[in-house]
Parts: sequence; structure tokens; C-alpha cells
Amino acid sequence: MAAATSDWRAERRRALLAGLLPAVVVLAVITLVPAVGLVVASLTPLSLLDPAKTFHFANPLGNYIELMGDRRFIGSVGTQVKLSAASVALQVGLGLGLALLLNGSSKVLAAIRSIFLVPMVLPPIVVALIWKIVYSPDISPMHRALEALGVPVRSLIANPDTALWAIAVADTWQWFPFTMLMVLAALQSMPVEPLEAASIDGANRWQLFRFIIFPYIRPVLVVCALFRLIDSFKAFPLIYVLTNGGPGTVTEVTNYYGFVEAFNFSYWGYGSAIATLILAGVFALSWLIARLGLNSHDGR
Amino acid sequence: MISRRNFLRTTAAFGAAGLALPRGAFALDNAGRFKGVTLNVSTFSAAYPALLQKWLPEFEALTGARVTYDTPSFPIYNQRTDLELSTGGSAYDVVNVTFIYSSRWINSGWLTPLDEFVADPNHTPADFDLADFLPGAVAPETGIDGRLYGIPWTAEALLTGASRFDLVEQAGLSFPETTDDLVTVLQAVNGKERVAGFVADNHYGWTFVPYLQAFGGNVFRGPPDDLLPTLDTPEAVAAADYYARLVRDFGPDGAVTYTPDQVTNALKLGRVNFTDIGQIYLAQIGDPATSKTIDTLKFGLLPKGPAGRFPGAAVHGLGIPAGSKNKEAAWAFIQWALSKETTRRAVEAGYGSPSRRSDIESAAFRSKQVINGSDLAQLSLDSIDIAAKTGHMKYRTVSVYPQVDQQINKAIELIVTGQLPAREAMAQAQATSIAELKRAGVDI
Repeated sequence: MAAATSDWRAERRRALLAGLLPAVVVLAVITLVPAVGLVVASLTPLSLLDPAKTFHFANPLGNYIELMGDRRFIGSVGTQVKLSAASVALQVGLGLGLALLLNGSSKVLAAIRSIFLVPMVLPPIVVALIWKIVYSPDISPMHRALEALGVPVRSLIANPDTALWAIAVADTWQWFPFTMLMVLAALQSMPVEPLEAASIDGANRWQLFRFIIFPYIRPVLVVCALFRLIDSFKAFPLIYVLTNGGPGTVTEVTNYYGFVEAFNFSYWGYGSAIATLILAGVFALSWLIARLGLNSHDGR
Repeated sequence: MISRRNFLRTTAAFGAAGLALPRGAFALDNAGRFKGVTLNVSTFSAAYPALLQKWLPEFEALTGARVTYDTPSFPIYNQRTDLELSTGGSAYDVVNVTFIYSSRWINSGWLTPLDEFVADPNHTPADFDLADFLPGAVAPETGIDGRLYGIPWTAEALLTGASRFDLVEQAGLSFPETTDDLVTVLQAVNGKERVAGFVADNHYGWTFVPYLQAFGGNVFRGPPDDLLPTLDTPEAVAAADYYARLVRDFGPDGAVTYTPDQVTNALKLGRVNFTDIGQIYLAQIGDPATSKTIDTLKFGLLPKGPAGRFPGAAVHGLGIPAGSKNKEAAWAFIQWALSKETTRRAVEAGYGSPSRRSDIESAAFRSKQVINGSDLAQLSLDSIDIAAKTGHMKYRTVSVYPQVDQQINKAIELIVTGQLPAREAMAQAQATSIAELKRAGVDI
């Protein structure tokens, strides 16, 4: 009897493995193999101008050592941190606020919710072009309106003090609907009984939010923040179209610097090392957030 | 070989379509020869490629080949093609040999030598006449091995343009001849009638360098052999300070973000007065259909500095990637695209920067290039002649120029936006350029 059960379990394991195998192979081919290729390339001085160096592993950490002394790279990491922090905070804050305002069942609210989703479904390059118009003073409706109101504003993307924040605002415009959508879904699945009970006990709106709604939606907010944080490392079209990393290097994030090194200068080994460090950074952040346990109702 | 019947059939089809059939040897030699071949052609978006695109059905009818034609913007084209060529791919059969990348693409072995095609009468009729192309335009298409890798379709010069020269005349001044004159003029006209004084394409590795050289500086110590950057010399610092002042003090709001198209539009609409920009863009400012400043514009050579006048010049050509699988058809395309018939027709259609001497000297071209009294063709020829005599454009065709080009862009932006003074910005550009060149394996 025991032998028969064991055979059945082994057979089941084999069947599950056989079923999973195609998916695992596809996943490996489309994600792991390129990632391994990236790491391998980062250990070489691969330059498209010098094919002889393609598989030259004499100094495997050379690119990484050079990166530690590359001021432009270090500067790009600082820029990345500022852009990620600003855009994630704005997106989560705005998405949460609008979700709370638009949480209802009327047709008007449903229509407004649909309109707010539009930026998220636009291709990133279209979003970049929209903001290029908004930020170009000679053709911008925003600049003209502000001038008409007597508060003219100089070009935001040509000013080193505002260029990065201008990109954060454009990125927020595109991606706050993601948080809004997720929070709305959480709010609409929330049981009403605790809210009714608290209201009967005299809780005001802030107390309802602080002690009941927020703890309920916190895991969703953390997941949203994590998704947006990871995505913020991939910021590219807005920077490419609006500022090209400038003025100077004030909007040059790490991802963009890697692009310049790999695709403008053909230093693929060096560019791969930058991409590998970004990958490691994203993994580390995700792990840290998971360890903090904020993405569960029990987290503190 | 093409039968007489097929040739007559092709000709009849053209006649029926009402199209002008080139009467040269090209038509006779290639009729139906590449039936079933799909030719992938890529170049950046510009006036000449746009004309070719219009006339592509003629090439397809003549040769039987089908052409997939791709014309992205200049930076996109360069990045895409640089990557494709570097991998030896076969995605493209004909590409634009971009001036700034010409040495890199040619001397890395990424393009096909064309000498054998040109010399072979089975591939190239005598009336193609390679000697008709300006020698100064053919030189950048030639590798260090002395072989030819591209046929030029444009020889473009960087010139100075003023969209509201009437404001300069009202101030009692004339067209600026020197860098000092330019500042005097800009001080007099900047902001008049809400017209900003000066703006330039923010590709400063192209628009600033003539001023760098006019002040006695250069990008490298002795290009193409001695590639030590010289961006931190007193002359270079003075030039950067001067040029950044033009953009900062006389530029429109957001001047450092202006692309060539924005510059062209700003001058067409009369929002900005002066610029330094390529001849093909200046010709657009003289387009009566779209320009509001056609009656007030004036063009001239770039101003002289303490060291002289060093106008920028650029050449673009058509070449065949080493990885192309349709080289014969690709050569047929290049031959058609740059045959005397096609280039003459382009000039008649208004094309502004041909590379054949016969076109440049033609009455049809010269008459179209005089815009509001300024002879754009003569200014361009003068600029190209100066460049040919001084050899000051050698800096631009070295394979590692893209690395230094970007440091110059950044340095000027840093100065214009007040992030760094000229001395520090240029010292930083020098240091980063050296680091980049060392990474590229350049022996400095």
C-alpha cells in the first residue's frame, strides 16, 4: 500500500515537472540567458570597435573598478535616487488621494476614473512628446497661460534646478493612475462593517482613514510603490526626449548613462556592468522591502 | 540580360504612368534585373532622401526590386545604424554614411568597398562620372586603405542666418563679419519686437566648434593622428565663454533645449533672429510657403575670430553594409539615387545641397539658391573651399569623435545654465574626454 502511494507521488511529481518544463525553458531562454549574457559581458572590455576584446577575461572586475571611480556614474546614481524618490512619492500620494475621492458607484465617478486612466495607456514616447510641448515655452499652453496670468515661468527643462522635478512631474502624470487603480480595487473590496461600526462609535473621517482604511490598503500601497520604484529605474523616453540627460548631467540617471556608454560610444562591456549594477540594486531593494514586511496586514 | 521586349514593356509602363524615365545607361542595364529582391534602405530624414522616396516606384519598376525605405530622425538613425553595422548584420542593404561616424564605420570594416563596382562597366555606366562629385565630398567617404566606401549625396556647410535682418539695418549695423561684430549686433537687436537675438542647435559638438577654432583652439591637438583633446586650453576656454554668452544672454527661453527643427521654426516664425546652422536648414527658412521671414532674412559666412574663419562642413553619402546580402542591387540603388539624371532632377525640384559639381554650377541650382539677395550656394561653396584648404574638419571624422562630441555638448550646457564657469566646464570636458578615449584604446 505504502509502495503504491510512493509510486503515485513520484508519478505526480514527474507529471508536474513535465508540465512545468516548457514554461521553465521559455522563461530561462527569454530572461535568464540574456541576464547571464549581460553579466558575462560586464566582465569583459567588450567594445564594438574592437571585436578582439569580445571574450577577453584577463581583468574581469575591470569595468566595476572603473565604475567606482567614474564621477559621472556616481552622479547618475544620485540623480536616480532623487528621481525615483520624487516620482514614486508623488505617484503613490496622488494615486491614493484620487482613489479616495473617486471611490464611489456613481456614473460620473466611473467616467472620471476612466479619463484618469488615459495617460497610463499612452505609449511612453507619446507622453514624452506631450510634455515636450508643455515644457517648450514658445509653444506651450502652460507657459502662455501663466504669462497671461502675470506669473511667467522660465523653461523648466532648461533650468538645472527644476529639470529633474519637471521629469518627475511628467512621470507622475503618466503613472499615478496605476496606484489609483490598485487602491480603488482595494477600497471597493473592503468590507463596510468596520467603517460603520467606527462611525457609530464617533470616529471622524481622518480617524476612519488612519485606523481602518489605511491599514487595510497598506499592502496594496507597498506593492504599488515597489512596482513603481522598479519601473522608475527604467526611466528613459522622458529623459531622452525632454532633456537628453541635461542640462549638463542633472537629469542623467544611471539607466541613461548606461545607454550612452553602450549605444553612443559602443562600450558594451562597460554598459553591461552599469546594467548589472542596476539589476543588483533593484533586487536588493525588493528584498529589503519584502524583509520589512510592510506588504502584509501583519507588518509593522 | 534584358530582352528588347521587356525593356519596351517597362518603358511603356512608365509612359502610361506619366513618369519621367531616366534615359541614361542605368535604365538599359538594370531593367528587371533584380526581380524578387527586397532592398532595405535606411537614411535619416532630410530633403534628398524625401525626394528619393517620392521617386522610388520608378526604381522599382526599372529593376524589379522592391524597396523598403526607412528615414528616422538623425540621432535615431545614427544609433540604430551604428548598432546594426557593428554587429555585421544584414538588416540594411543601403545606409547613409553619416559624416560624424564615417571614419568609425569605414575603418572598422563595416562597409563594402565600392571601387570594384565603380570600375566595372557591367555594374556602372560611364555617365555615372564619379569625378563629377566634389573631391572634398568624396574624401570623407574614403578609408585609410584608399578605397571608396560611400557616394556623397550632400555637401553641407554651417552658415550664419538672420531672420530679421531689418532690425540690424534699423540699428545702423551690417551683417556681422567677426565674432566681435556678432556681439555688437546682438546687443543692438536682442529683444527688439520680442525677437530673441541668437539660438543654435544644442548639438554644440557641431555648432560651437567653428567658434572654438576661430578663437585659435581645436578639439584635438593634431587630428587625425594626434588625438589628445585640447578642450582646456586658454583659447578653448575663451571660445566656450564667448559662445555660452551668445546662447545665455541673447537666446530665447529654454535655448539649451533647441533641436535643429526648433531652431528652423523659430527663425521661420521670426521669434529668433540669428543662428549658425546647416545650409539645408537655412534653405527651409527661405521657403515662401512656410516662412514668415522670407522678406527680412539674410545669410552669411560664419564670423571670423582672432585666428580666422573656420566654417563647419559635413558630407553624407550612401554606402553598402558589409553584411548586406544584396550588394549588387544595393549598388544599383545607389547608382540610380545619385545618377546625374536623379541629382539634376532633385536640384530642379529645389534640393539645396548637391554634391555634384555639374549640379552646383547649373543655372537651375544657382537661381534657386539666391534667397532675398543671399546666394546660399556661393556661401556654401566658399565654406567648403575654406574647409578643403585648411583641413580644419579633420577633427570630425576620427572614429572616437562621438565620445568627445558629447563632452562638448555637456560643457556648453553647463556654462550656459550657470552650473560651472567656462574654465571648470572645459577642464571637466577635457578630463572626461581623455578618460573616454583611453577606454576606447586610443594611445594618448
